[in-house]
Amino acid sequence: MSKYSDELTYGFAKAAAPPVRETRIGVCAAFCGTCGKLNENVKSGCAQLQSRKFSQSGGCQLMLAMGILSSLTNIVVIIHSPLGCCSGFGGIAGLLKTMRASKGKKEQEFVWIHTNMDQLDVVNGGTEKLRNAILHAEKHCHPEAIIIANGCVPGIIGDDIDSLASELEHQLSAKLVPVHCEGFKSRYVASGYDSAYHGVLRHLIEPIKKQDLIFPDEGLDALERWQKSRTVNIFNVGSNSNGDEVELSRLVSALGLIPRFLPLHASIEDLERISEAALNVSVCATHDDYLLGHLKERFGTPYIIDTLPIGIKNTNKWLRRIAEYFHLEDEAERLIRLENEQLLEALEPFKRVLEGKSVFVGGGETRILTTAEFFNSLGMKLLGVKAHNVDRFVEDILEETAGPELAIEVAAGQPAEELNILNKLRPDLYCGHMGANGWVARLGIPNLPLFGQSLNYMGYSGAFELARKAVKVLKNTNFVQNISANAQLPLRKEWFDSDVRENIKETESA
Amino acid sequence: MPDFIERAKFSCALGGALSTVAGIARVVPIVHAAGGCAGSLSGAYNLAAGYRGVGYCGGNMIPTSNIAENNIVFGGEERLEEQIEHTVKAFNGDLYIVLTGCQVEIIGDDAVGVARRFKDENVIGASTPGFLGNALKGYDAVMEALIESFIEPSPVHDTLSVNILGVVPGQDVFYHGNLDEIKRLLGLIGVSANTFFSTGESVSAIRGYGRAALNIVLSTQAGLGPAEKFKSVHGIPYIVSELPIGPAGTEAFLRQVAEELGISAALAEEAFRAEKAYYYSFLERIVDIYSDIDFQRYAVVVADSYYAHALTRFLANDLGWIPHLTAINDIEDEAEQAEYLKKFDDISSKTKPKVIFQRHAGLLLGEVRNSWQLNRNSRYYDSFSPAYVIGSGIERSLADKLGAGFLSVAYPVSNRAVLNKGYAGCRGALSLIEDLITNLVAAR
Repeated sequence: MSKYSDELTYGFAKAAAPPVRETRIGVCAAFCGTCGKLNENVKSGCAQLQSRKFSQSGGCQLMLAMGILSSLTNIVVIIHSPLGCCSGFGGIAGLLKTMRASKGKKEQEFVWIHTNMDQLDVVNGGTEKLRNAILHAEKHCHPEAIIIANGCVPGIIGDDIDSLASELEHQLSAKLVPVHCEGFKSRYVASGYDSAYHGVLRHLIEPIKKQDLIFPDEGLDALERWQKSRTVNIFNVGSNSNGDEVELSRLVSALGLIPRFLPLHASIEDLERISEAALNVSVCATHDDYLLGHLKERFGTPYIIDTLPIGIKNTNKWLRRIAEYFHLEDEAERLIRLENEQLLEALEPFKRVLEGKSVFVGGGETRILTTAEFFNSLGMKLLGVKAHNVDRFVEDILEETAGPELAIEVAAGQPAEELNILNKLRPDLYCGHMGANGWVARLGIPNLPLFGQSLNYMGYSGAFELARKAVKVLKNTNFVQNISANAQLPLRKEWFDSDVRENIKETESA
Repeated sequence: MPDFIERAKFSCALGGALSTVAGIARVVPIVHAAGGCAGSLSGAYNLAAGYRGVGYCGGNMIPTSNIAENNIVFGGEERLEEQIEHTVKAFNGDLYIVLTGCQVEIIGDDAVGVARRFKDENVIGASTPGFLGNALKGYDAVMEALIESFIEPSPVHDTLSVNILGVVPGQDVFYHGNLDEIKRLLGLIGVSANTFFSTGESVSAIRGYGRAALNIVLSTQAGLGPAEKFKSVHGIPYIVSELPIGPAGTEAFLRQVAEELGISAALAEEAFRAEKAYYYSFLERIVDIYSDIDFQRYAVVVADSYYAHALTRFLANDLGWIPHLTAINDIEDEAEQAEYLKKFDDISSKTKPKVIFQRHAGLLLGEVRNSWQLNRNSRYYDSFSPAYVIGSGIERSLADKLGAGFLSVAYPVSNRAVLNKGYAGCRGALSLIEDLITNLVAAR
């Protein structure tokens, strides 16, 4: 459980779409100041009401929702929209393939369809095209499920994709999963995770009906019960690498439990068995409180939403919380002692290089705070953090990471503000989310990605890899120096001289 | 009516507009739309146009009005105005272009009108909602806005100056290298080419494009609208040509332009002869291995109309491969399809290609299989091999299933990094041969 989600409710399954996070959780998307002040303002509700005079392009909840669902096995994704929404699939379809390969999963060709809405459809509606697309997918691809993502255009003109899905669902072998993830509906893009999981919860997790055996087998029943009592669902996220899953599996297995990673890259059958577990464990609250909360209400499966297992302290904490539930405290302490001892020794040579170096971390709220804590534990000087958004789930770690005086900016994307701050702070190292590092490189600051498909960040081996990577980056910083000396940034000197706080304003409405 | 598309090889009009703007040096786009559109669309071309990058002011750097539900109800023009005001203060741009997304066009915001209020600060606007159509429509919209609101009309025209249209940055993954080569080729016959996007171009140079005497459109699906606009606003006529790849294409291109501009055929002939000599001086190197192990292949070309005929002609007429099947994904109109088919009259190989129009990527395997006799358990079977697929990155699995060689040329391309490479002209054709053959020997 989590003290932050206990007061939230999750009974939205009857609605076509979940409430957006602005109303469901309350989110701060624009802030510049210290962690202490931010926490104060979040608690009073002021931080949630801020926006900006000048803004830059962030994410879209449709992209995030489809990022999750496109990973499922043997599905087709239909984007009900003009051609642009999710056109990034053209570039990332290959990445999905290598991701599956890294997990040892069977190779599959990812297929997506655009309904290709045009001006006529804006006037007349586009459900006929959607119907044709669904039938095409069923006929030519034989998927187990067809995901239907509703974009802004059908959202505004009011295409009724749910009625169409209900009409067709009994005529097709594929399950139909309408997902309402219109970009304009939420400025807080993580709403897209809720949209995606809402579709999964409504259409894909109905438990498989058990057939009674002709000759009842008590031994088999007992084995199944035992297995369920030891199974821990670990909810993976798009930024998980296979290395992360291998490491977290190793740790949970070491406690004598049975780890199972869901829902990314899962098969439809895996999802139907989602309730066959003793405990659901999150690695990132931003992703899955909606999913875990709902599973608790529907199947009674308890859950843990606490920290993200990055760095030594937070991996210890994550493991302890799981062990506590199963009354395996002693086992966990023995494991943690052994792991910590070996890791600390291995980190010594890296510490000598990184000690005293300054660092800035930008990205998703839980990930940056735990990553920053780890850099801090290596003796690095934490200059500040930038969070996409801040909500109730980081209240604790916000201040305990580096104290209430630590500089924090809250902005999804907004590289102009971030570069302004970084140009003043000039850290020795920057660690950031995709899309940020390129700009930071142009500023001449050595950097490394906050996550990546081929890297391990989580658990103890992840801590070692992260330190190893930071040391490697600093071995030759000529690339960023050459780039910053020869590339142009589009921002004016006046902007760099200005105070970012002046760009934050009270919003007209939440 | 355009129907659904399985694995489309285009983004939307806004995506094409952003990719076009990113192709011009020091231009800042300002997108009036929901927060995610600009970054996602720019990101698509970053990853799928040979890791082209987001450009001077792309990706999440793109200023966006970031409209939300309340703007959908109450309108977003005020929010756009505030956004423009702050963007010109914070950003260094030689030109700012306001582009629009679906949401604001449906609710009826007049973004181009708002942009007009900032004319003195070098702001122009173009209407580019995704539902206008594919990326090529966005290219046309941006070009038309430049031609109408930015390029200065000129009373005189330089008889040997031309503008190149129809090459869409990103959608042509090799646009930069191709345009550099087109410019060099035309220079050989004394013509100075304005390309918008290639080396040395700038916003101030573009402002003077009204002095050109001719527009050359290298596509039948992009650039025609802008060419018409050039004609009506600036009185500049246009011709439709094609991206020249290899000796056959280069010769046809130089002849066509020379004739149109009244340049002597002898000069064009001389220029072409030198290019051809250069081409064969290098091609000769590969003759030995090509012949010793037989590099001739059955060619399957899967591309947009911009590349489909150009590539097929090179493979068939110049390289001597067997053009088996050419599939085109971006022409829906039947009259236009018939017109495009005529281009293939110039294929000189004994075997002519089967040319089809197929927008669904997943149906291509069936198309190839149906184009060749099936193996009915006969002991001796004339199989479809050795084959080579030249397509987009999506066709990699098609090539795998056919057991064919594979090179990605058409968008999307995410399995190779493309910097200054181009396939245009005789020099580009040498690069293309390098890439085709490299893939055949890469496992050694």
